[in-house]
Amino acid sequence: MKKSWHLNRREFLRGLGVSLALPFFSSMEVRGATRTTGAVARPRRFVTVYFPYGVSIPGEGDEQAAWNWFPKGEGRNFQFNNSLKSLEPLREEVTILGGLSHPHGRKMNGHDTSDIFLTGAELTGSQLNNSISADQVAAEHFANQTRFSSLVLSTDGGVGETTRASTLSFSRTGQPIPSLNNPRVVFERLFGVNEASKAEQRRELQNSGSMLDLVQENARSLRRRLGREDQQKLDEYLASVRQIEQRVVSSQEWLDVPKPAVDASGLRLDATVDTPLELIRTMYDLMALAFQTDSTRLATYQIGNMAGGLADKFPSLLGFGQNMHNLAHGWNKPGGIEALGKWDRFLTEQAAYFINRLKTIQEGEHTLLDNTMVLYGTSNCRTHDNTNYPLVFAGGKAMGFRHGQFLKFSEKTPFANVHATVLNRLGVPAESFADSRGELTELLA
Amino acid sequence: MATMATIFERIGPAMIADPERSCVVVTRCGLITGLVATGLAALAVPAGAATSAVAKFRQEVYPTLEKHCFKCHGPEKQKSGLRLDTLSPDLLKERRAAETWRDVRNAVNLGEMPPDDEPPLGDGDRRALIGWLNTQIDEAIQAQRQAGSGVVLRRLNRFEYSNTMGDLLGIADDYARDLPPDSLSREGFKNNGASQGFSDMQLENYLRVARDALSRVIVSEPEPPIFRERFTEPFKDKGYGPWSATLGRTGTFVASMNEYPKSGEFLVRIKAHAVPHEKMGYPQLSVCVGYRADVSAPFRELGRVDVTSAETQTFEYRGRIEQFPLPVRVQKKYNGLKIWLRNVYNNGTHPESVEPFKVPTAQILIPEKLVDPKDYLTFPQIVIESVEFEGPLFAQWPPAEHRNILFDSARRDRDESAYAHEVLTHFMTRAFRRPVAAEEVKNYFSYYQKIRAQSDSLERALREALAMVLISPDFLYLVETAAPDGRRWLNNHELASRLSYFLTATMPDRELRRLADDGKLVEADTLRRQTRRLLADERSGQLVEHFTDQWLDLGAVDRVAINPEYYPDFDNARKADMRHETQHFFAELLHQDLSALNLLDSDFAMLNEPLARLYGLTGPKGIRFERVALKPDDHRGGLLAQGAFLLGNSTGNDSHAIKRAVWIRKRLLDDPPAPPPPNVPVLDAVSPHFARLPIRAQMELHRKDPACADCHRNIDPWGIALEGYGADARWRDRILRKEKVGDLLQDVLIGVETDAVMPGGDAVSGIDALKRYLLEHKRKQFARALTSRLLAYSLGRSLELGDETTVDELTQQFTKNDYNLGKLIEGIVVSEPFRTK
Repeated sequence: MKKSWHLNRREFLRGLGVSLALPFFSSMEVRGATRTTGAVARPRRFVTVYFPYGVSIPGEGDEQAAWNWFPKGEGRNFQFNNSLKSLEPLREEVTILGGLSHPHGRKMNGHDTSDIFLTGAELTGSQLNNSISADQVAAEHFANQTRFSSLVLSTDGGVGETTRASTLSFSRTGQPIPSLNNPRVVFERLFGVNEASKAEQRRELQNSGSMLDLVQENARSLRRRLGREDQQKLDEYLASVRQIEQRVVSSQEWLDVPKPAVDASGLRLDATVDTPLELIRTMYDLMALAFQTDSTRLATYQIGNMAGGLADKFPSLLGFGQNMHNLAHGWNKPGGIEALGKWDRFLTEQAAYFINRLKTIQEGEHTLLDNTMVLYGTSNCRTHDNTNYPLVFAGGKAMGFRHGQFLKFSEKTPFANVHATVLNRLGVPAESFADSRGELTELLA
Repeated sequence: MATMATIFERIGPAMIADPERSCVVVTRCGLITGLVATGLAALAVPAGAATSAVAKFRQEVYPTLEKHCFKCHGPEKQKSGLRLDTLSPDLLKERRAAETWRDVRNAVNLGEMPPDDEPPLGDGDRRALIGWLNTQIDEAIQAQRQAGSGVVLRRLNRFEYSNTMGDLLGIADDYARDLPPDSLSREGFKNNGASQGFSDMQLENYLRVARDALSRVIVSEPEPPIFRERFTEPFKDKGYGPWSATLGRTGTFVASMNEYPKSGEFLVRIKAHAVPHEKMGYPQLSVCVGYRADVSAPFRELGRVDVTSAETQTFEYRGRIEQFPLPVRVQKKYNGLKIWLRNVYNNGTHPESVEPFKVPTAQILIPEKLVDPKDYLTFPQIVIESVEFEGPLFAQWPPAEHRNILFDSARRDRDESAYAHEVLTHFMTRAFRRPVAAEEVKNYFSYYQKIRAQSDSLERALREALAMVLISPDFLYLVETAAPDGRRWLNNHELASRLSYFLTATMPDRELRRLADDGKLVEADTLRRQTRRLLADERSGQLVEHFTDQWLDLGAVDRVAINPEYYPDFDNARKADMRHETQHFFAELLHQDLSALNLLDSDFAMLNEPLARLYGLTGPKGIRFERVALKPDDHRGGLLAQGAFLLGNSTGNDSHAIKRAVWIRKRLLDDPPAPPPPNVPVLDAVSPHFARLPIRAQMELHRKDPACADCHRNIDPWGIALEGYGADARWRDRILRKEKVGDLLQDVLIGVETDAVMPGGDAVSGIDALKRYLLEHKRKQFARALTSRLLAYSLGRSLELGDETTVDELTQQFTKNDYNLGKLIEGIVVSEPFRTK
């Protein structure tokens, strides 16, 4: 019964473009939801996109004021400036948030705050222990309802170094979760088809299950011979073994569910850090496809990080004349406002592409966007300044959000109120998250 | 005390046999007495000691700190990220706090703190503060040394894993292709156990890679046919194309085979000669293998070499066919496996040269249209005489790598089960890098039996059981079990692994294994001999490559895009050359027994022809790196004049004085400036002609703000002195800037200004003066920094307070030995932290 929502035929879904025309998965409902309630419950999703270093914010009355990332005006009465102009057609789908920040982040060094964007932890002094990120709280909650509990993406891949992590997602114990950065690998993971027969696959999974049992037994006996610190390290290994064991079990359940057939021909899976536009768009496409096929409900995507990683050269490669770090630092140099503003505009255009893409995918009487919360932004307003995060919150109308507004907050409102709101709207029982003090009711209808 | 006895037994013979008793033995005795003393002390110093130290802190130290330090390092401000009022005074419990207190002591001792514009410490206050710090730090050091060496269980990183898989299985490949990048320690090292994480994704990958690899190594199909082909004429594809046996700027020799092996090792042998051009470098032969799809041709480079002689030369390359893009069987139009030979020499008039490939993914080849007849006058040529292909190569079937694991044994047919057990034990011994007990084999064997019962072949079941070995922690981690009380000496096999991964980034070789099995490796003179042997072996290239890469962050070149609007002629292929330049330079110092002070300044460089050309130097003719003697006005001596540093720490448009400065302080001097503080204040808008100001003047503007000046006056000068080099690492006397005029960008050329005042007041102008300054004033600091970094890399952990004495002693020896890297490495290998757990 629990798989009642599955499509019983293999849908054919193309990468870019074509899928937009398909009323895909219109028969889909959340696994476990009962039909007796009448209305079909749609899966609820949450995606976070982060970019580093801050944005262009000229002073009041500056002749370059049109390049201020934040809109003019307030509430429903606001006008986009140049940087966010591409969101104009999506005006009723987005809310711009101003003035928010993590109180702990305000105590941290200027380039150190991407690690806590989704966690709200304090990384200062000698204790650099992070805590669980909001997406992973939800991922735990939705575990096994989708083939993948979450999709963690970035430009640099892996975990990077503490305070300059190349991932936004952190586990229950505050361990960074490695991000994927190769579109081909992401695609293979989500939609790759195993050539082997189902019986063979099942046998391999069963064998893997027995193998992992024995590996676990061996590792436990090794653990007894190790020192305390080494035991903690080995525990990370053991935790992974258990996770894969669970995955092996659920993979067997999922074996009868064909992976959604997605044709990669419209996707630029060969995009690399040397072709930034294609790379960013492809990652957005892959997240849209992952949501559309309900392969996962949670995604994070970090475009570049403050360690000066592989994305630092993106603006140079795209003809913006400087690398990312220098654009951000150059905002108070002549022409710097505009130069940074144009880069902000470019990044927003890509986000707008993604939001629009979600909007054009129909799910029953709603769109995929209505069932997806999109958080887009960074943890510096101007570079090094850990306050007044530039943030766009989009989507989720079917979960009770209202948009078309520019909301300004004071530092009394912790950013974690957004996380708490998101978790509640996802249906994850969470009274609070990190240092939240309630929901951000202004976002709700 | 049983442990103490064992330690004595174990090192007893080594002490007697050690030819260089003086310092090493003293160190070891030091440790032993230290252990005994602290072992007893541990009983005598109960928790009360810490309490009384804390009480003393409250009474005698805290008031002084409050009076002199909290203003800048307290609740209000935390200059340099330092806050003292909340820093734990319990140095025994808080390792990180102890390190911070050590830095505090150094700053006070050196007179850096309190700063000149603040009231100085009174004599009594200073004595109380320093006295308390000295006692606490010493106790913390003792406690740490007793507690263990601090090496945390560490996993093989990407390249160690890949190398080890290659050695263990007998087939080299990039096994780490789909593994996530390694995490970095605070020193930038990728082998640090404490900073490594582990995730299910990783384990899943290890399992998949193991199954894939074992299915290739352990064969079950019958002996395949061998294909041999010889070509003297290029394949003519539909009668057109630049197909030719003479390779100039254009021209491709194609060998096409309709029949070819599906897997296994193959050999390509090329006979060719050069038509050299006296004013240019050697022509470069690039050999690629792949197929032609239609207009695109996926291929991978098999090798690249200079053709140096007008006489016939023979070049041989080996590869594994399955690692190359193979034709799709249904393809009709352009069928067959292709070998492409091209001349990729670039005389500088052809900026989009072919990038060297490392990654075994398909690349796109766009055939050039025509052979340029003028070529013969303007370009060095290669004439291909013949191309031979042979594969798969094997002396007997199954191939050697298979037989190495499934060895020949009469038992195989007599008692399959016993044979399988033997195969497993043999493989596990190599994979775990130590002898394994029968008890340990049990689970692997039971898994083998389970699979054997459901499958029809021994091979299939063994593949699965061996895959299980390859995902076990004993293989993936360098396991060193706990000592019952604190610290212990490593045993022979643990030491073999540490040594092998330090020097060759892979599993111990046969000789190390044998010495470990015989129990001889723990002897200091054996260790030294083995260190010298491995350093002389080409596998020590792994140490050179990875240590320089990580210590000096050579990968930075790939994070910078050189802007063609500023550097229209720059060829991105030079980035890899620059990385190699520094690696070859380090290798030259190591292998030729040269002083490591050459890293600060040298009278030679390691260059190949294209890089020498970029730098405006002559000498090398080919792609091989060679030693080039420098004249003073060449401006190329030492690390600071090498491309990887200069380009990697630039913006792509121009130099980046601050990045370069931070690099020097962090990596060469181990004195990293504090990270940028939170919430940097807004700077005033600056002059519209900002672009016309030299960087020095731009920075002075920023330094007007006292909040910035504090840190920046100790950072900026290091970079300003290097303004003579552009982002492309070339020497320059003019700097190109773009200034906005209306809507247009206009070129502005400004002069180079390199005058800087170093912290301490020395005036320095330009790189030569900066290098002199380093050699005169920072030599000791540099020697200590290099020693610390190399020690940290060898141990796979960050250094701690307890390592101070070791670092001091090693630095002293290093200085005494004329900064000889080989001897430093020997010293590290026999040092106490390297040999203890």
